[in-house]
Amino acid sequence: MRFSLSWLRDHLEGSASADELAQKLTAAGMNVETREKDGNDEVWDVDVTTNRPDAMNHRGLAREGAAAACGTLKPLAPQVDEGATPVGKVARLTVDDPVGCPRYCARVVRGVKVGPSPAWLVERLERCGVRSINNVVDATNYVLLDVGQPLHAFDLAFLKGQEIRVRRARAGEPITTLDGVERKLTADDLVIADAARAVAVAGVMGAENSEIGAATKDVLIESAYFDPRSVRLTARRLGLKTEASHRFERGADRAMARTAADVAAELIVRLAGGELAAGVLDSAPELPAPREVTFSLVRLSAFTGCEIPRELALKVLSALELAPCAYDDEVTCTVPPHRVDLELAEDLYEEVIRHFGYDNVPSALPEESVKPGARLGTWPLTERGRDALAAVGAAEAFTYSFVSEEVEAATSGSPLADRGAAVALDNPLSARMAVMRRSLLAGLAEAAGANLRRGAERVLLGEVGRAFFERGGKVAEEERLALAVAGKVGPWDALRPADFLDLKGVVEAVLAELGVSGATWRHASPAVLTAGECAEIVHGGRVIGVAGRLADGPAAVFDLPADVWVAELDLDAADAAARVPEFEPLPRFPAVTADLTVRHKLALPYERLVAAIEAAAPGWLEGVAPVVRYRGEGVAQDEVKTTVRLTYRHGERSLTQDEVNEAQFALMDRLGRELGVSFS
Amino acid sequence: MATEPLEKARREFLAALAEAGSDPARVEAVRVRFAGRRSGLLRELEDALKTLSKEAKPGYGKALNELKKLVEERLDAAQRAAEAAGARRQAVDVTLPGRRPVTGALHPVTLVRREIEEIFLRMGYSVADGPEVEDDWHNFGALNMPPDHPARDTQDTFFLKDGLLLRTHTSPVQVHAMETMPLPIRLIIPGRVYRRDSDLRHSPMFHQVEGLVVGEGITFGNLKATLEAFVHVLFDPRLAVRFRPSFFPFTEPSAEVDITCVLCLGKGCAMCSGSGWIEILGAGMVDPRVLANCKLDPSRVSGFAFGFGLDRAALLKYRLPDLRLLFSGDERLLRQFEGVAR
Repeated sequence: MRFSLSWLRDHLEGSASADELAQKLTAAGMNVETREKDGNDEVWDVDVTTNRPDAMNHRGLAREGAAAACGTLKPLAPQVDEGATPVGKVARLTVDDPVGCPRYCARVVRGVKVGPSPAWLVERLERCGVRSINNVVDATNYVLLDVGQPLHAFDLAFLKGQEIRVRRARAGEPITTLDGVERKLTADDLVIADAARAVAVAGVMGAENSEIGAATKDVLIESAYFDPRSVRLTARRLGLKTEASHRFERGADRAMARTAADVAAELIVRLAGGELAAGVLDSAPELPAPREVTFSLVRLSAFTGCEIPRELALKVLSALELAPCAYDDEVTCTVPPHRVDLELAEDLYEEVIRHFGYDNVPSALPEESVKPGARLGTWPLTERGRDALAAVGAAEAFTYSFVSEEVEAATSGSPLADRGAAVALDNPLSARMAVMRRSLLAGLAEAAGANLRRGAERVLLGEVGRAFFERGGKVAEEERLALAVAGKVGPWDALRPADFLDLKGVVEAVLAELGVSGATWRHASPAVLTAGECAEIVHGGRVIGVAGRLADGPAAVFDLPADVWVAELDLDAADAAARVPEFEPLPRFPAVTADLTVRHKLALPYERLVAAIEAAAPGWLEGVAPVVRYRGEGVAQDEVKTTVRLTYRHGERSLTQDEVNEAQFALMDRLGRELGVSFS
Repeated sequence: MATEPLEKARREFLAALAEAGSDPARVEAVRVRFAGRRSGLLRELEDALKTLSKEAKPGYGKALNELKKLVEERLDAAQRAAEAAGARRQAVDVTLPGRRPVTGALHPVTLVRREIEEIFLRMGYSVADGPEVEDDWHNFGALNMPPDHPARDTQDTFFLKDGLLLRTHTSPVQVHAMETMPLPIRLIIPGRVYRRDSDLRHSPMFHQVEGLVVGEGITFGNLKATLEAFVHVLFDPRLAVRFRPSFFPFTEPSAEVDITCVLCLGKGCAMCSGSGWIEILGAGMVDPRVLANCKLDPSRVSGFAFGFGLDRAALLKYRLPDLRLLFSGDERLLRQFEGVAR
């Protein structure tokens, strides 16, 4: 909020220098963000926090200055010169809703001459960012900036029945506010009405039908206190944020409602002439009993972590008009109505500590005994996932948790994404961010495409994050790990396009890093992937992942310039605990290896071939590993030649070549019979 | 014996040649030293022949010739070996790039998060998490932001159906922790949060980290020391830390914490708008209303909390220009973080 330095000083007796005032206000929490010279004045932009509506005016900020030892706050004592006519003769006031409007004060000035404001007033308003309108309206705005009380001036001639009635609006009741917009009100909105119609939205904005104009003679000044919640709801519903609503919804000053009516009346008579009617229409002259808050000085020091001098505490609280009353260790403060933020002892601690100075509190680490910390919840799991991504060479990406409906639909055709309904945002920022993702592929495939379009030769991206599902009326969050491979793989002198086995290798390495062993891969056709070039990964009887080439449908949605290979894993299937290796005795006897080339139908999966070899070979077969796969010349269209390397090792003795040869021949014989394969 | 110098020369020659190995320059040095035309050792030994007696001359001459032959043969062989070795040496161009396995890179926000977690783990904090989809109570109500509270204006919220919402800060995890964990509590809570806001400096999705300490006798001075220690480890021990009174509904008193600008160290630059300070943290003592909402007794326990943007910490730490770059999945950016300690 913008403040004028000279105006602040009007409220301070013996004011400190501008530099000192700015520095001390900042240290006390009223952050003076910028200072600009303007003639022989300065304009300050001060960040007043939302809990301090009382300081959103010059007098309120000057009060903080006084508490920060930058002068003494001058008393506020408007001198009104009342005429003979009692206000009750010229206007009437009825408050139908004292909950929405706990206090309404009105004064009447008759016979004003509406005209331009004097230069000093125009300047001050402009320094605070307010445009001058006419002397009467400017006076109300001036009082708002001066003492924080939002006011409204009505042309009394337009108030039917010369009456002010504070009531709830009728459903659908129309009003054209001062900004020229015709609005429809609801029965929840509080209005100021005359005998016939609404003439203002209470605490928000006046109406055109009772606006002050050049011809106005008689003015009714409204100075009220409205219920913060009621003002806030109406302002929000109407989409109208005004200087008045901003203050009322944070809490105005119920006592100031009466005082400000005098300040305004005095100013209007001074600027525009006229005669002030005698007395004030006041719906609730009695103020509720002020709140008392008691705290212990010893506890204040304990809470702060250092000794706070008693004298300083009392001085600060006095300057803040909290009327501290000390009895031994206990201090009781009486909270004035403008301090809506003070309720508990800790609220008073803050008042003292911020004026004591945060920088003056000595730093000391907590002394309680320290136990070793740990990663809790899903952190051990997700951190392991990220390490796995880095270990296989992926670049970890962060993509948005919300995506467009189209992207969500294009990436949810998989057993991992199909675990509940998609969760939509009620108020998305844009259609591109409308639905929570059920699959990490939504963001990752798009990122892979963007990298390819930028000309990346190779893409290897990974992400660990959450997928969101609606299940049984609740939202479930599940941890996922996803990978995308595209472009080329291999060393620089042997580059080749990535294919399924490149993706599978990366996924296998990730699974190993995650401590998942014994996962099996099987053909499947999730809609998100290309049939025939994808698989489901199964572990413990559950599908824990999918992998393959992104299907043409989603590829078109992402406008992919080339094939993208993707995988997604359910991280919950991984074992969060680190794998503890169990020692296996090292072999004592040498191994003998023998290669075997098998010509077989493409329909025979490698996994079955190996299973058949393991079943047929002697117990001392240690392992089978692939060496080469060959298709092409000399091999029929539906056939493939697979060369595997068998490693034989006996646990008790060395094997002879004869023994191994014999085993190998027996194996070929049996495979030929059982699988119908040949060995040429 | 007269031939003794010849024998000595022979031993020295063989030793020198062995030491020279297949290095052409050193073999050449041996040649100059022993067989050099003007001042080689063989020349000196030949000159010595003239000074010998008649009887000694034939024996010496014969031995000298044998030595000459040996030197010549061995030098030739050594020179040939040195040439061959030279050719072998150039068979591999060691300056070609290797066939390097692909190295991975963690996201800059992950890196900075882990660094922050490590600092606090060493101080006895645990790392907690919580749901990203929250209810109104945990995100707002329990944190002293009742419905229609003006402070909600500053946290534009994405709503889901049935009163659920995307958490606008990591603070709801504080509430879960205080509701369920035994005291004393020392937690660091990183996580993804959402606000309905998007421009150059705001992303609708970003990351925060929250700290929470609750126990008996926790003081404002404890908060100050903790944050100072943290800032000095994460950024630079030379940085000053400044606490300014501020307002958050869930802390009382509240503070905004500034540090000396990491770029200009306080001299004033574009990043700190010339002020020499950058605001990085919000903090305060846990508001007694929040403690009470979590069924803790504010007259017995106190605590402090602090929070800040992880993305912004990553921007500051790695001098990145734009928040939105972090969520682009651009490998040209991400691969810049290869080899950063995990």
